[in-house]
Amino acid sequence: MSGRVLHAQLHLLDRQLIDRADGHLVGKVDDVELDLDADPPVVAALISGRVEIPAGRIAEVESAVTISTDGLDLDYYDNWIEHHIIDKIPGAGDATE
Amino acid sequence: MKKLLGVTLGILTAIGGFVDIGDLVTNALVGARFGMHLAWIVLVGVIGICLYAEMSGRVVAMSGRPVFDLIRERLGPRTGLLALVASFLVTLLTLIAEIGGVALAFELASGVSYLLWMPLAALAVWLVIWRVKFSRLEQAFGLLGLLLIVFAVALFKLGPDWGQLLHQATQLHPIGHEGWATYAYYGIALFGAAMTPYEVFFFSSGGVEEKWTRRDLGTERTNVFIGFPLGGLLSLSIMGCAAVLFLPAGIQVGTLGQVALPVVVAFGKIGLAVVLIGMFAATFGAALETALSCGYTIAQYRGWQWGKFVRPREASRFHVVIIVCLVLAVLTLLTAVDPVKVTEYSVVFAAMALPLTYLPILIVANDPDYVGRETNGPVRNAVGLFYLALLTIASVAAIPLMIITKAGA
Repeated sequence: MSGRVLHAQLHLLDRQLIDRADGHLVGKVDDVELDLDADPPVVAALISGRVEIPAGRIAEVESAVTISTDGLDLDYYDNWIEHHIIDKIPGAGDATE
Repeated sequence: MKKLLGVTLGILTAIGGFVDIGDLVTNALVGARFGMHLAWIVLVGVIGICLYAEMSGRVVAMSGRPVFDLIRERLGPRTGLLALVASFLVTLLTLIAEIGGVALAFELASGVSYLLWMPLAALAVWLVIWRVKFSRLEQAFGLLGLLLIVFAVALFKLGPDWGQLLHQATQLHPIGHEGWATYAYYGIALFGAAMTPYEVFFFSSGGVEEKWTRRDLGTERTNVFIGFPLGGLLSLSIMGCAAVLFLPAGIQVGTLGQVALPVVVAFGKIGLAVVLIGMFAATFGAALETALSCGYTIAQYRGWQWGKFVRPREASRFHVVIIVCLVLAVLTLLTAVDPVKVTEYSVVFAAMALPLTYLPILIVANDPDYVGRETNGPVRNAVGLFYLALLTIASVAAIPLMIITKAGA
């Protein structure tokens, strides 16, 4: 990621986050944390909901931001709804026909 | 054959957008009251939706980002939220009306009250979304909805005075005892119905469901330029039938049965069967379109996994939104509110949400980050800006006109 100049507001804020491993959509970039001690200041982390994604996890910045999600709990709410509601309906794990 | 089936997304989007329950009734109602004097609005609407649906489809093919991603990215979380609330409510209102419309079509066919059909209709919509593949859903309801071409054929069979219809269409003013305010009110309703926001939500999200890439730009354009003009043609046929049959007799249209009547007059029982199947397919298709769009908009604003291209459990929040919306639709309809009235209002409310939906599309269609070298040329930008001005005027005028005319009474 070093060296590329990005406009934080234009290229990062409110972009879609994608899991590099399976291509799933895992949230939006709600906020960007800057490291102001560096010169020039660099992006330290992305915030999505309550989760902080260290800049090192960013794999690619295009029209969406691809990240590696290992160990980050970005799926908390989706999993909760999956276990408590969706999985109780027959066919929840089947591909459509 | 594969090429032919490739345009069903456009056909379903357009049929769902142009001849859903609201348009079926609005077009017939307008034809009966104003003849073809408002037909030009349909033409203006078709050009506008072609322009913007093409932009949203191009952005999807080049970047994979559907419309509500763009709305949040370009308007930010706050204005984006306003756009979300407005367009979500309009789409939900439309979903309520479509479920009612499916039930009304069954009532016409069976004589059993729509209130009994309505929960079944909602359940069927959910089952299709839960179990049926996107491309199959699009092909079945897109192609079945084409049966509504029977309105165009009926218009020929009724043998109207074509010269007079054309004359009406070139006279852009109200007739008889109708005033300018009601003329403008129904003009905005027709315009809002033609450019209703869920069409671009569904079309662009459908492009993602179909996994469009830059190689599909051709498919995307064929979809737009066949689908939407076809939808507009069906709208005009319904309006024309009503202008021929009801206007001279001074009959006002307020029910789905009256909308179908010209086809019955032209072709008898066979005509009735065809038009009922067509109406069922169009309203059911629009119900699918709006139910999915309720899920698409919220999920895309929040960044949740969405879509029918993954198993339901992988997009659990998306599916929960759809289920909740369908339950809300059933509960609302159980209060015996008139589904036809619900759509008439939804179309006007849609007009208010229009600029916030279309502005981000215009901006991003000029951004090389998204569309590479496929940015808008100066002509498309000029026409796009012109339409943005029209949409803004319509959105500002919608509510005052609704109050002045007592909702077109």
